[in-house]
Parts: sequence; structure tokens; C-alpha cells
Amino acid sequence: MDITILQLVINGLLLGGMYGLISIGLTLIFGVLEIVNFAHGEFLMLSMYAAFWLFQLYGIDPYLSMLIIIPVFFLLGIAVQRITIQPILNAPPLNQIFMTVGLSMVLQNAALFIWTADYRTMKTSYSALTLKTAGLIISFPRLVAFLLAMALIAALLIFLKKTYTGKAIRALAQERKAAMLMGINVYRTYQIAFGIGIACVGAAGAMLIPVYFVFPSVGSLFVLIAFVVVILGGYNSLVGSLAGGLIIGVVESFSGFFVSPHLKEAIYFVIFILILLFKPTGLFGRA
Amino acid sequence: MLKLNGVSAHYEDVQALREVSFTIQEGEIVSIIGSNGAGKSTTLNTVSGVLRASSGTIEFLGRRMENCYPHEIVDRGVVQIPEGRLLFPYMSVLENLELGAFNGKARIAKGKNIQTVFSLFPILQERRSQLAGTLSGGEQQMVAIARGLMAMPKLLMLDEPSLGLAPLMVRQVFETVKAINAQGITVLLVEQNVFHALSMSARGYVLENGSVVLEGGGKDLLNNPQVREAYLGI
Amino acid sequence: MKFISANFSETLFQPKIYFPLILILLMAVLPLIPQNPFYEDIIVSSFFYGAMALAWNLVGGFAGQISLGHTAFFGIGAYTSTLLYLHYALSPWLGMLAGVALSVLVAIGIGIPCFRLKSHFFALATIAIGEVLRFLAAYWRGLTQGGVGLLIPFKPGIENFMFKSKIPYAYIALVLMLVMLLICYWIRNSRFGFHLISLREDQDAAESLGVKTSRAKLMALIISVVFTSISGTFYAQYILFIDPFTVFSLGISIELALFAIIGGLGTVAGPILGAFMLTPLDVFLRAWLGGVSAGLNFIVYGLVLMVAVKYFPLGISGWVRTWYGPFLQKLPGGRRALKTEAAAVPSAVTAKSLEAAQAQQKASFFEVRSLSKRFGGLVAVRDVSFQVPKGKIIGLIGPNGAGKTTIFNLVTGFISPDSGEVLFQGQTITALNPPHQICLKRIGRTFQVVKPFRGMTVLENTMVGAFARLQNAQEARRLALEILDFIGLSKDHGLPTSSLTIADRKRLELGRALATRPDLLLLDEVVAGLNPRETEEIIGMIKKISDQGITILMIAHVMKAVMALSHRVVVLHHGDKIAEGTPLEISRDKRVIEAYLGEEYLA
Repeated sequence: MDITILQLVINGLLLGGMYGLISIGLTLIFGVLEIVNFAHGEFLMLSMYAAFWLFQLYGIDPYLSMLIIIPVFFLLGIAVQRITIQPILNAPPLNQIFMTVGLSMVLQNAALFIWTADYRTMKTSYSALTLKTAGLIISFPRLVAFLLAMALIAALLIFLKKTYTGKAIRALAQERKAAMLMGINVYRTYQIAFGIGIACVGAAGAMLIPVYFVFPSVGSLFVLIAFVVVILGGYNSLVGSLAGGLIIGVVESFSGFFVSPHLKEAIYFVIFILILLFKPTGLFGRA
Repeated sequence: MLKLNGVSAHYEDVQALREVSFTIQEGEIVSIIGSNGAGKSTTLNTVSGVLRASSGTIEFLGRRMENCYPHEIVDRGVVQIPEGRLLFPYMSVLENLELGAFNGKARIAKGKNIQTVFSLFPILQERRSQLAGTLSGGEQQMVAIARGLMAMPKLLMLDEPSLGLAPLMVRQVFETVKAINAQGITVLLVEQNVFHALSMSARGYVLENGSVVLEGGGKDLLNNPQVREAYLGI
Repeated sequence: MKFISANFSETLFQPKIYFPLILILLMAVLPLIPQNPFYEDIIVSSFFYGAMALAWNLVGGFAGQISLGHTAFFGIGAYTSTLLYLHYALSPWLGMLAGVALSVLVAIGIGIPCFRLKSHFFALATIAIGEVLRFLAAYWRGLTQGGVGLLIPFKPGIENFMFKSKIPYAYIALVLMLVMLLICYWIRNSRFGFHLISLREDQDAAESLGVKTSRAKLMALIISVVFTSISGTFYAQYILFIDPFTVFSLGISIELALFAIIGGLGTVAGPILGAFMLTPLDVFLRAWLGGVSAGLNFIVYGLVLMVAVKYFPLGISGWVRTWYGPFLQKLPGGRRALKTEAAAVPSAVTAKSLEAAQAQQKASFFEVRSLSKRFGGLVAVRDVSFQVPKGKIIGLIGPNGAGKTTIFNLVTGFISPDSGEVLFQGQTITALNPPHQICLKRIGRTFQVVKPFRGMTVLENTMVGAFARLQNAQEARRLALEILDFIGLSKDHGLPTSSLTIADRKRLELGRALATRPDLLLLDEVVAGLNPRETEEIIGMIKKISDQGITILMIAHVMKAVMALSHRVVVLHHGDKIAEGTPLEISRDKRVIEAYLGEEYLA
């Protein structure tokens, strides 16, 4: 029995690391720009397709195509921010919500139009590879994904803590007017923060495609999980997103095993609503 | 050094500044006083570029500034210490100071400036790893001023630095401002504490409902019965 | 509630009335025209979405609560009536009522906790609710047949809510839409509507005027879900097939919001415009582009949404409004003089209010005892006590940051004290919250930074205050006009608040609070930012208010006003009360001079 529990925990953590990476971008965007990016899942979907096509057409391994995807998505994020988000930064919340909701509709349906609703997945040489140790079975691609996700999250946290631009991003999130008065170029910092958020989710997509399949509305599925993670971890805490991701991953793993695998989604929505109502700052968030 | 001419500004549909004009000469300390809502903070925010002037010109060292972004204005050497201090609460004192030196030449001279600032405010060196949000009011004000100095300002603008401080701290803050001015930095002071502000200023302006209603030498204004009436009703 | 005046035919012949009636008649005739199921379907869909968009607009537009989970109630309506019909042969008409009941229960269950959330989070929570229901419907196969969906066998007959032709459906949808429209129109001009709009614009100000914001939001939600649920049943009976992914679809929630936004958020008829424009567009897009287009229509929707949100936040209604008024005037009957506003009030009403105030013989005094409050490490208010005798004006002064506004917020229920009590007319009111309860105890307040309700005129703003004591819109209007006359804003009553000067806005703030007929009025820096002439005027007005018997506690920074008005003055500094006395005593008090001008001044 113990081994099963441990297996479930490990599976959950591996999955959770991915959730953490997806969510951390969302938290960064919300913390700095104070908008909820309802289109976040669509960027995940786009990067999954990108990794898929890079593999399909050019044989580039998804973990390698990350090297292309991350910078491209960073620039994509900046472009999207300038065109759609920048103009409505001071608009009422309604307008902000619907701008990103509209963007999500456009992206999702453009994908539907271009690539049809077919589920796509890829088979690499290591897709089915597993490591067996101490009675546990660990999926190799998931392990690699987990390690890469942790590495990226660590890199992001170090970036934010140590570099000037990183500190400027944190400062902007804490106290906007003072940041402006300190000579921080607020508009550029917003763009960079958004770009980083999208780059994170882009990396996550490349890691996800070897173990999952992509279809136009896959983003909706993951973004809802990401929202749960962000709220659970604390909507203004990056570390919280990581912790929240791991927790949700483990919860999903356990509920998939002990309860119906289908109902697991309903379970995290219930968690979501409960947190929003009773502890809106989440585990690590600040008021 | 700084010249405002006919500057008007709106804040949320209301005209907060009505054709305000004033000048500041290099090396001076100038005060702007007035009641709540008179437009003092709006004036500073317009100079800093946080608010856009709807008309009029702002000139600094001969160059026009009214259409610049806030970070460009800091680059030119005009730095504001905002009302309420507005430190980055979850960052350490040292990080706050470092962030003050964001722009080009300030960043290069950062190390040296931090030493200078620590010698001016020894207690900050002691508290440099403490989270800024946990400091006392007086200490926070010192960090705020120090942070502003890190940007190597030519003109330092302070918005109600004595706000919410105990009398002892208030005196210390003003001593510091005088010391900063003695080092060659021009100072524009927006203040509530009329006595301190006017007695150390070369000149002062009284704002009322967005317009300049009185101007004169610091000491003259202090003895001007109209000013005393406005503040004390006597 | 009368909205048709006594002189019926005179009213009827005004373009304002007969033109919309003509439009309605046209709509009634419309279903009979095409003789073609394809076009008939478009008409049915347009009416039906119009009704739903109107229902959504009540919550999203009037009350400003962006719900992206309305599909939950659509689905509940659809599934409840369908399951009851299939399993118990219950007529869908009755099943519809069962669906409504269930939807209302769910709405109350989720509405109460969710309304506490701020806009982005509220939207997220509502999305989650819609999704939870979708999962339940998809995976509770025993109940709902899961993803396979439910098929309703076609047995036409009115008792089964099924018809061979589309025309009866069109009329049912039309009736639904018109009833919803009427309800929205009625609400807009009623006390409830004023409450909704005021809480949308500024919840704090609304509370201070006695608006029970939580209850109002809930009422709006309940009415909205009733019609959304009915629409769900209608849909089930029209299409005769439902499945979780169609009726619990986030897409529906978004579409409803889209129609309301495009048409004009918060307007009465705007959502109908939005639905009428976009529904046919959607159907045509889908028909013309066939299977190739999967998703193309939604791309268009998404782009339309993004563009509308950025460039046309007022929707089509904003544009229509620019020419609708003049257009109506050009129609026959339009040149007749529009009803003039009720003139200044007969003095009987003013005298009545004066008597009522003076009849308040029991001790109307107000006391603060040992009030303390700290925010984190900062002590904002420390052990402050003072009394305000009935009928007097007490000034609360002190340098910036002394704690004056904190005291106001403590007393009016916006924040709660760490210790101490507040007593009013012998009752303890310390724990009272939310703030609307304070208003109901007859304490009114103004805010330091004025909070006019932007979507409303000066008169409407004042009416929100009047509604604190009155139920009837006409009476509220009369009281509001009386108050506006008293404060000197009568001629501006029809103007939007954005065109007022700061002095006038302060007066409006004052008038709005006065309209709630307080016994105690708390004025927060009502004199700040005014020039000498305006200051004189407002001082005069405050004296007039005091003469009417209203007790006043005022925070003021401008000493001239304090000296001129106050019977007694309480001085705060750094959260402590440092002095209390008559204005003259205070102006000579060493500690006060020290606090304002600095110790050195005395040296």
C-alpha cells in the first residue's frame, strides 16, 4: 500500500511541476499588470502546436525546440501586450476581462480553423520510456519535464531576485507610483513581465506535448487548472504558484486513483471556489 | 532651473491646477504650501510626468519637459519623494536604495552613492537587510529620501515629508533636507508644516484651489498675516 | 407604480411612447413574414437571445457584476424540465417552473459568498461554477445520460410545449423578451434600479446612502436567473436535444455578455440591439461558410469583442442615443413641449421635514468612547473620546495624518475599531456593519474625495439618497428636487456629474447625504479645495442645515470654516486627542499651535 501512495505522490509531483510552470506565468502577469490573462491557456496550446509541428516537419525534439520556443514566445508576449493589453491597462475591469476573453476566442478558433479539431500527439523515442527503481515506475519524459520546469522556475526566481530588471518587475508589482518616480520605464517593464509570463507557458507547452495531446481547446482545460493553482498558492506569490502546482498535481493524482478520474476536474473547481470564498489570499499570498 | 508657465492639469475630470506659474533657481529651497486639495501634490506629479499637463510649459535647465515620460524626467535629474513615502514594502532597505539608482549614470555610481547615503543616514546601514515595510515612520522617510538621492538628482522634490511623523523626527527630516541642499541639490518642498518649510526656504508659493495666490520670500510669507489666518483662523 | 400617467391618450401620442410601440408591433408581425423555416429560426433565435442578453444585463450591466457563469442557469433550466418530462411526464411548462426554483436556489447559494469577490475574481468564480455543473452533467450518467445527451421525442401539442411550426416558438420567445424588457425598463426607473446603478458606480458611497448592496445584487441575480432558466427550458423544447457541452457552455456565457456589450452595457434596450445584430450574423456565417468554417464565426466574435471593448465601450446604444432624441422630435407629436420638471416644492413639504426633525425630542446625542485603531504597526487612533451634543456643530481638526478620517470610517462602519465604543441616541452602534446600517440609523456622511455616481445625473444621484427613506420614485424625485433647491443645484439637475466643478460636486455630495434625512451628518473635509467665495457659500449652507436641527460633526482643515461654524472643536494629533474647547480657546491653545506650526513657532 505504501508503494502505491508513494507512486501516486511522485506522479502527482511530476505533473504538478508542469502546472507550476504554467501558473507562474499567470501569477507574474496578474501581479505586475493586475489583469487576469484569460487567454493564457491559448498560448500553451500554441506552443504545443509549435513543438508538435517542429517535430513533425523538421524532426526537432521538443526539449530542443524549447530553445526556439522560449525566445519566440517572449517576443510574442511583448507584441500581444503592446497591441491588446497596453491600451486597456487603465480601463475598467470589464473591458480588461473581455479583451483577453476575446483574444482567447480568436486564438482558439484560429487554431481550430487552421489545424482542425483533430487530436495530435507525438511519439518520440523516449515517449514510453520509464525508469524502474525501488518498485516505483517513473515516466522518463515526465521526469525530464519536471526537472526542466523546476530549473526554469528557479531561473525565473533568481532573475527576479538578483537582476535589475527583475527587481524593477517586483517593485512595479508592489508600488507602481514609486516605481515610476524611480526612473523605472514602466511601459517597458510591463512588456517584459508579460513576455516572460508567455515564455514560461511556452516552455511548458513544449514539455507537455510528448506526454499529452494537443487540440484547439486544450488551453481551456489547462488554464482552468492554472487558475486553481494561482488562487490556491496565492495570487501574488510566485513561490505560491509552484507550491500550488505541486499540491494540485498530487491532489489530481490521488483523486484520479481513489475517486473517478473524471470527477477530478470537478474536485479542483470545488477547491477553487472554496478558496476564493474563504481564503482568497491563498496559501502564500499577501493581502 | 525649473520654470512652470501657465500649467493646468486635470485629475479625474476635475481641474486641479489652474495656470500655475513659478520658478526655482539653482541651489534654492522653495516651498509650496496650501490646504488639502489645493493642488500641491498635483503640481509635483505634473512636474514628474505622472500626470500630463493639459496646457502650459515646464522647463528644466532650459529644456522642455511637459511631454516626457516619468522615467525620462528622472533621467534629467528631477526626482520626487512621494507623499506617504511609497517604499517597496517587501524589499529590503538595500534593495529599495538600489532601485532608486535605476537609470544609467546613477547605476554606474551606485556603489559610491550607497556609501554616501549610509554615511548620511547611519541607521539605514544598520537596517539594510530589513524589509522596508517593517520600519518605523521616521526610518521609512529616511529610506525614501535616501532612495531619491540614489538617482543623483539635480532637483529634489519632497511631498509632505513630515506627514505622520513625531515632532522629533520632523525636525530631523528638515535638518536632512537642509544638509542635502547645502551639498548643492536644489529643493522643492511641498509641506503641511508651515513653520519649518517657510523658515528654511528662500521663497515660497501659496496654492489655493489650484492657483498660486501668494508668493514671496520664505520669512516674509511666514510673517504674512494672510498665511497665518489661513492656517489658524486668527 | 405608475408609469402611464392619468392622461392616457396624451401620453400615447408622444413619439417617446408610440415609436417603441410601433417597433414592438413590427416585431410581433415579423415571424409571420418569411414563410421559410431558415429565416423563422433566425427570428426565434434573435428573440430568445435578446431575452437572455437582457437578463444578463441586469446583473452584468445594471449591477456591474460580470458573471461568466450564466450558462449554469441555462443548463439547469434545460435539464430540469427535460428530465421531469422524460421521467415523470411532467409538462415542460411546469418543469420550467421547477427549473426556475432550482436555479434560484443555486443562485442564492453561490451569489451570497461570491458577491464578496472583486470583479476579476468574481468572473473567475462564476466560470468555475458553470464548469462544475458541466462536469456534473457530463459525468453523472445515471441522471443525465452524460455526454450522450437527452433526446425529447417529438409530440407536438401545447401541453408538451412543442409545436410543429416555428412560429409559436417565435411568439413565446417574443413574449419572454418583451416581459424581460418591461421588467428592465421598470427597474431602471425604480428605487431598485437606482440602488443597482449606484452600487455599480461606487459601492462605498452607495452603502453610506443606505443602499443594501448585498441584497440588491442578490435580487438582480435572482431575477436574472429566473429568465435565464426559462430560456434554458425554451431551448430544450425548441431543439429537442440537449447535452452538457451545449447547454453548460462557457461560450453561451460569453455570448450573452457580448450581446450586452455590443448593444450597450447597462442600457435598457441595448442587449436587444446586440442580439438582433449578432444572432443573424452568426447564423449566416455558419450557413455560408459551411463545415470549412469551423470556428471562423467565433474568430469574428472574438475580434468584434476586442474591438468593441477598446473603441466602443458604450456599444451601439451610445451611437443610437446621439440621433434618437432629435429623431423622435421630428416625428408627429414630437414638437409638443416635453413635460416640465416639477417646480420648486410647495413649502408644505419643507415645513413637514422641519417639524419631523424638531419632533425628535429624545436625546439625539452622539458619543465616541475610548476608540482605538491600529493598522499594522501604525496607531491611527489612540483612546479618543468626545461627545457631540444634539443640534450643535462640532469640528474635528488636526494636521494631516492625525486620524480624523479614520475616526469617520470607524464610526460609519467602514472599518471596525480595535477597542472602544460608539453610541448614538443611547444605542451602541459600534459593531454595525455593513455601512448601510449606519445610514438607516439616520447618520449620513460625505467623503473627503467626492464620489459622485457617474452613470447618473445630478438629480438621479440625489434620488439615491432620497430612496433611503422613500420607496416611491416620484416622491424620491420630489424630495431630491427640494434638496437640490436647498443646496443651489436645481438648475444643474439634469447634468451628468462630470460637468460639475469641484465646488458643485462637494455640494452634490452634501445634498445626497441630506436626502437620506439624517439626524447626524458627518462631513469629511467638505470645505477643502474651495476658493474663498465658495467657502463662504458652503459655510452658509452648513449653517442652514444646522438650523434645520441636524447635528453636524465636521472634519475640516480650513480653520476659517471651523472657527465660523463650530460650537466646539476637538483637536487630534498623531491619533491622540490633544485638546477640546471652543474655537477661541483652541486657537490659543499652546499644544494646538505646536501641532500645526511646530514647537519653534512659540519660541
